[in-house]
Amino acid sequence: MVVSAVLSSSNPVFWAWRGCVVLTGLLALRAPAQPVDPALDTFTREIQPILNTHCYDCHGSGISKGGVVLDEFTSASELKDPKLWLRALRNVRSGIMPPSDEPRLPAERVKALEHWIKRQIFELDPAVPDPGRVTVRRLNRTEYRNTVRDLMGVDYDTTLEFPGDDSGHGFDHMGDVLTVSPLLLEKYLDAAQTIVQRAVPMQPAVVAEVVLPGGKFSIRPGSGTESSPPLAASAEGALPNEATGPSRPPPAVVAAGMELSYYTRATVEQRHEITRAGRYQLHFDLRAVERYVDDQFDTNECRLELKVDGETLLDRVFSREGGRTFEFTFDRDWTPGERRIEVAMTPYGADRPQVRQLRLRLNQVTVRGPFAPEHWVKPASYTRFFPRAVPAGSAERRAYATELLGAFALRAYRRPVDPATIERLVTLAEATYREPDTTFEAGVAQAMVAVLASPRFVFREESVEPLQPGQVHPFVDEYALASRLSYFFWSTMPDEPLFRLAREGRLRASLPAEVRRMFDDPRSAEFIRHFTGQWLQARDIPTVVIDEFAIHQREHPPSEEAVALRAQVRRLAAIPEARRTPEQKLELEAAIKRRGAMPRPAITRLTTSLRQAMLEETERLFEHIVREDRPLTELIDANYTFLNEELAKHYDVPGVKGRAMRKVLLPPESPRGGVLTQGSVLAVTSNPTRTSPVKRGVFVLEAILGTPPAPPPPNIPPLEAAVTPEQLRQMTLRENLAAHASNPICASCHSRMDPLGLALENFNAIGQWRTSDMGHAIDPAGTLVTGESFADIRELKRILATQHQHDFYHNVSEKLLTYALGRGMDHRDTDTLDALTARLVSSGGRPSELIRGIIESAPFQQRRRSEAPVPAPAVSTVFVSPVTLSAPTP
Amino acid sequence: MNPAIPASSAAVAAMNRRHFLRGIGACIALPSLASLVPGRVLAAQASTGLATTSTGAPLRTAFVYFPNGAIPATWWPEGSAAQFQFGPTLAPLAGLRDRVQVLGGLDHVNANPGDDGGGDHARGNGVFLTGVRLNKSATDVRAGVSIDQVIARQVGHLTRFPSLQLSCENVRRAGACDSGYACAYQFNLSWRNATTPMPPESNPRLLFERLFGAGPQGMRAENARRRMEARRSVLDFVMEDTRRLQGRLDRHDREKIDQYLTGIRDVETRIQQAGRFGPPVDPALETPAGVPASHGEHVRMMYDLLALAFQTDSTRVATFALAHDGDNRSFSEIGIPEGHHDLSHHQGNAERIAKIARIDRWYAEQFARFLQQLEDSRDVDGNSILHNTRIVYGSGNADANRHTHDNLPVVLAGGGGGLLNPGRYVRHGSKPMSNLFLSLADQAGVTDLDRFGDSTGRLSNV
Repeated sequence: MVVSAVLSSSNPVFWAWRGCVVLTGLLALRAPAQPVDPALDTFTREIQPILNTHCYDCHGSGISKGGVVLDEFTSASELKDPKLWLRALRNVRSGIMPPSDEPRLPAERVKALEHWIKRQIFELDPAVPDPGRVTVRRLNRTEYRNTVRDLMGVDYDTTLEFPGDDSGHGFDHMGDVLTVSPLLLEKYLDAAQTIVQRAVPMQPAVVAEVVLPGGKFSIRPGSGTESSPPLAASAEGALPNEATGPSRPPPAVVAAGMELSYYTRATVEQRHEITRAGRYQLHFDLRAVERYVDDQFDTNECRLELKVDGETLLDRVFSREGGRTFEFTFDRDWTPGERRIEVAMTPYGADRPQVRQLRLRLNQVTVRGPFAPEHWVKPASYTRFFPRAVPAGSAERRAYATELLGAFALRAYRRPVDPATIERLVTLAEATYREPDTTFEAGVAQAMVAVLASPRFVFREESVEPLQPGQVHPFVDEYALASRLSYFFWSTMPDEPLFRLAREGRLRASLPAEVRRMFDDPRSAEFIRHFTGQWLQARDIPTVVIDEFAIHQREHPPSEEAVALRAQVRRLAAIPEARRTPEQKLELEAAIKRRGAMPRPAITRLTTSLRQAMLEETERLFEHIVREDRPLTELIDANYTFLNEELAKHYDVPGVKGRAMRKVLLPPESPRGGVLTQGSVLAVTSNPTRTSPVKRGVFVLEAILGTPPAPPPPNIPPLEAAVTPEQLRQMTLRENLAAHASNPICASCHSRMDPLGLALENFNAIGQWRTSDMGHAIDPAGTLVTGESFADIRELKRILATQHQHDFYHNVSEKLLTYALGRGMDHRDTDTLDALTARLVSSGGRPSELIRGIIESAPFQQRRRSEAPVPAPAVSTVFVSPVTLSAPTP
Repeated sequence: MNPAIPASSAAVAAMNRRHFLRGIGACIALPSLASLVPGRVLAAQASTGLATTSTGAPLRTAFVYFPNGAIPATWWPEGSAAQFQFGPTLAPLAGLRDRVQVLGGLDHVNANPGDDGGGDHARGNGVFLTGVRLNKSATDVRAGVSIDQVIARQVGHLTRFPSLQLSCENVRRAGACDSGYACAYQFNLSWRNATTPMPPESNPRLLFERLFGAGPQGMRAENARRRMEARRSVLDFVMEDTRRLQGRLDRHDREKIDQYLTGIRDVETRIQQAGRFGPPVDPALETPAGVPASHGEHVRMMYDLLALAFQTDSTRVATFALAHDGDNRSFSEIGIPEGHHDLSHHQGNAERIAKIARIDRWYAEQFARFLQQLEDSRDVDGNSILHNTRIVYGSGNADANRHTHDNLPVVLAGGGGGLLNPGRYVRHGSKPMSNLFLSLADQAGVTDLDRFGDSTGRLSNV
């Protein structure tokens, strides 16, 4: 572009004149018929007057607040900076700009600005929406695990085996950021091998096997219920446990296993019927479990006996074993009849402090046999992989292998597979099963390993339909559409009905019914879990680090007496015992006694079960809204939530009993309801020892309103430059933040974050209601940067759900479309997002409308035309002119 | 229960018992390195000067990263170059004084904000071993090759593993990372090239099995051989499938599949070379059970495994991220419940500064323990392993309270086979960290490197 005049004045007359110069310049240089760039033309005629009135006081005439300048464009291409105008569009729409103390932008001017940005800067054509560009996506850990489960019928723990996936735009399945490192490749190869070995039977017949899960063992009556300690406990050196004395937890079913406490005498048993005489094998699978306690150990021991029909197979003493697994195998010749298998636990030695809840978990007992080959049976999963008996002839075998591997590869690659690939797979299988001492099954399994190790399994390859008349961007083909749907709703591969519709070319035509079916399927829980887990960060609550003691102290500062006593005890205890005078000894004893007599604070622990309840509360609320098609604003403000007894107690909500989560109607004055006042959000946006109004404010801006603040500027002058450390210590959080905001650089963002975060100060770092912090009363009132004032969180929620509804709808649309596509949004998605937002507005925020809108949208249905497959690598490496390389991407 | 209860000596003993390697004791059970690496192999390496000392021993290189910088006042020693006193943070290294040098005045200007604004943790982390400016984007990830990978590219074929990446980070937080930077910058130290980060292994069991094979002692070599064989058996098919897939994709997507192809070629190369190395060592140790519950134990176990990898000459290049920059973990085992990152913005508060200094020191204690382990094991040439190793221990943030990236806290440990001059505190004025990397690469026998990152030359006087 040749336009070079610097447009730098805010004088409209001057502007108009400059516009003429630019225009003339262009006309002079180009052929007379060449039109002037319409964006520039509109800019000078219509947009500049708007900006002049409303924006140039801060973003023009040499002033560049926030680094934004809207009047210094030296060319049309510089003017057409999509990042700049996307930011301008967002800030104007959400009312952040112009600031609330300046006159509002009249609606028709906002419209003119929107129109100009969308049509002339972004050059979007509403009739031909741009589907955008999705980078070929590899399966992330979740998708890999789920796909393997559906394809192979085994659970391969990818969270343990694979390195973590990087995320981008807040989600961990973005094609652009998912890379394959050499380490991961190595892991893929090994995983393929392990998975097939576990899933595919390599023999047509095997020794019969019966698994008796530990959890199905029955507890011998009277066992584990003794109120008095067993005899061994009174042995020499026994230490009574403080206050409570030793506990005797009864055997408990945990998952499929049975947990036996080290501290409790108990016997569990199971009867098993043997029908055929012969040699059998009994295999016991146990694991030591304990509760982790920092730096403290548990020296209790126990005695474990394994018995069959009263005969002792094993008698062994266990001390603390960490998380070790134990496997014991015994061979026995049995005649038909009922066998009684017993596992007996006896506390052993002295009772010592029970610190770590030591347990042995009986996972399962496996009975194998009889071993004689005539009694062998078909392996459990045999027909899943080999529906018929293996033929004898070599040609028939090859035909069978072709049939099996063809069907398998189609499912694994999730699309039709070319005959050449199947041919190579069959050759691989044949090379294996033709070797001596191997089976047909092992050969086919080997080819399956190759399939799982292929990038065509690990990546989601997509193809397109032929262009339809008048169509600019082609539809993705039916198989690609099936995968887009299944990974969106289920985080896994398509199931049989989807494959069938794709094969018959009827999927696109059956979308409404299919979406309904997929949503009703239990697999859609994956969508709920991963979307809320990442969008609302609920996924972090199980591992968030919180110091409950420090949190408690902020609301219950210790009395002066307690502080003095503590100092006294510390001072005296620091003197080595041998050097303490008798007076000091007496003083120490008395001080300890007085401390002991003081009332002990009841500190709420963020236990595993409480964390789990918080996670479920967030998931259940979102799930309820989506499944019942409730207005999405209920995510911000609702008169109900999901609780169990533990969480209800935590929130001071009366009348909820039991461990099951259920929908609870909240009292009218309750501050709860909506995600902002849920324990999960409140805790993950806190620091380990205190709340963080800044993190909470950022959360509301980012996750709810979709208007994240700019990151903190570099080189911020440290706060201690403005106030003394002593002043700093005396300040409340609010005052501390106010000190931050006194710096104009900081104020522009802090004035947006702080009121939101401070409104949540009534909730401590583990989400409990409170009215004071470090002895200062909490003041939740505030005014948003957009001008609305509120007295407390209830009013703020109402403001967000009503006055900022449009921001919220736009944001949910953006988050969900990002999740559905696996790519970030850019300016070319503006029309799509506007259309989705409009559907939400007109439907009163119905999730069904949003989901339908996404499924029907161009980005979900189509691929950008320029993405059409290019010739093979050899061809593309021919000379590419530098002009092509440096040209801006369209 | 308040965790700040002093552990009894019995409890400490019990804790030590649980350590997977018992320091020096572990090495006794291992065959000597000389029996593992045939003399002629080492001799041949010595003649090329590739990652080999003048006495014919392997020359090893490691980069250890600690998060959130260090309190400068307690980190930096006092006194002159030779007559210096360690500050409180590095005092745990006092017993190894002759084996380490403290390097002052090294900078990473590309970690400074420049025009990129906030994101000093992502930058501190991502720039640390690359020295380049990171592309600020949540999805368009572009950094640069890291120095460990530059060295590994040249010397990796000498050992069973070209390089190793370790970390103690097994849980990733949901959501976005630092200030608009992709998470990849903050969670990876090693970069194979600008777009391919090398994610680290954090599970001690998986790392151990990768190094020595799965299963109990006595069966590992066979298991490792089988695993290699299993990989080999599908390589041809996978390679062909990859090429076909590539042919159907556009240029942009083809880059992704390129990474796959590179990985396959790596495995192929290693299989071809496996014969040269013979079966892997089978240490007389129990395979670690998994990720320990306590951070301290996790850190020590990963250090133990790194020591073991060096002792067995399984690799000569490694990186170890103790935690990502910006890590907000609390240190209840030393009585500090607050989050590390939160504390590091200490606002001049003396109590908070003391706590961070205590965390800095804790990390130095773990590092000293690791160095002592290397110092106590003999190498093929009779020197200690530490003598034949170079370890850069540092952080990409200097003063975390202010997010500065000049005068970074850096210790260079080991003798580099006699090439380094440890036992000193050297103030380099203000030089790019990349200059140090260039010098380290030279010593390892990297020949084609004129510049690295923002280097302006070699760092003299190391």
